[in-house]
Amino acid sequence: MITSKIRNPSQTRPTEDRVTTLNNSEKRSDQWSQLLISVGENRDRKAFAQLFEHFGPLLKGFAHASRNEGWFPGLGDDLVQEVMIKVWNKAAGYNAEKASATTWIYTVARNCRIDMLRRKSNTQHLPLENEDFWHEPDEATPISLLQQKRSEDRVQDSLAQLPKEQDQILRKVYLEGKSHAEASAELGLPLGTVKSRVRLALQKMQIIVSKEAQE
Amino acid sequence: MTNKTTHHPDQNMLIEFSAGTLETAASICVSAHLHFCASCRAQLLRLDQVGSQIMSQAEPVEVAKDALFQVMEKIDSGDKATPIETKVDGDMPFSVNKLIGTSLIDKNWKRLSSSVDVARFKTGQDNFEVALHKICAGGKTPKHGHEGLEYTVVLKGSFSDENAVYREGDFLLRQPGDVHQPMGAQNGECICLSALSAPIVPTSPLGFLMKPWLRINPM
Repeated sequence: MITSKIRNPSQTRPTEDRVTTLNNSEKRSDQWSQLLISVGENRDRKAFAQLFEHFGPLLKGFAHASRNEGWFPGLGDDLVQEVMIKVWNKAAGYNAEKASATTWIYTVARNCRIDMLRRKSNTQHLPLENEDFWHEPDEATPISLLQQKRSEDRVQDSLAQLPKEQDQILRKVYLEGKSHAEASAELGLPLGTVKSRVRLALQKMQIIVSKEAQE
Repeated sequence: MTNKTTHHPDQNMLIEFSAGTLETAASICVSAHLHFCASCRAQLLRLDQVGSQIMSQAEPVEVAKDALFQVMEKIDSGDKATPIETKVDGDMPFSVNKLIGTSLIDKNWKRLSSSVDVARFKTGQDNFEVALHKICAGGKTPKHGHEGLEYTVVLKGSFSDENAVYREGDFLLRQPGDVHQPMGAQNGECICLSALSAPIVPTSPLGFLMKPWLRINPM
């Protein structure tokens, strides 16, 4: 059994302990983010094991959903391993005020998946990994975990209410990792239709605002 | 809003970026824009939340019983120190900094015309030439059209054309058929990141002066 280790004091980050600053309702709000914070701050192996148990099979499913160029049968296990090692190594830099653990782990998984597929299908030297595109400055206005949890719940509810064709297109894009052009070829739809269908789905979910409404 | 950029990538581009399906050259440009644009970063977070919820609904696939054990072994045998992710320093986006550090084809600016210098990158893809362009203060470029796509992000200073003034962080997409004549601002040099998919075509009689523009070298 994996036991949690006492963390080396030299690894202590100068920032205040974020676990204790969260109020109770926030603590209840998002257990995954709590666990991730604990991994980052205390090298908490128990917390990591819990994250692994929850996200491991999802990550493998996420890898299996993509049948793109470069796909190979062992991708699922490789992705689980690579992502979870990254989660452990990068947890100290995780900022709960920027994104929830679920969103953060999604971005790690997405970047890993693309990089693994690219490495398999591309023989050229690639100076940039997908991860390199994701170094944004911290925001002036932090978002509390509670707020994030609420908006993620809303995303989940609104996903469930999408018409079938809109749900299908979002899955192609996000789960299968298909570009708009690939989705258009697969579904036999013009590229413009794919683009507008994706936008319509996200407008319906109130993620993006329609262009007419913006003006 | 604190964010001053007025020209942004379109929604589908940001969506593809969030899903990880945007091609490399365009991704470099979008990531450069995000460095400057708080409103696109906020939009991106919302899109990533969609991605995360869709991933959460993936059909779970059982992992090997010893998968966690193997991961812990790798962690324990590998690097112990956990470098906290490097913060983005300076005025340049992380991806551009990294390209400048690792992938310049030539370390020096190369003169394209009396007012424009170029520095090309090797980016490991064949579809776009990715480069920095420097327009000197008040520099005029020849009027030209585009046969392919061109993404441009202003990294420093500003330039203008017939339609608008473009400032730090602004993201522009030129479509095939667009004709324009960019001009550097009077008050200082302007540096842009660009990704160009096809040679540009001079439309003025003096167009032959910009011959070096006519070759693109995707690397």
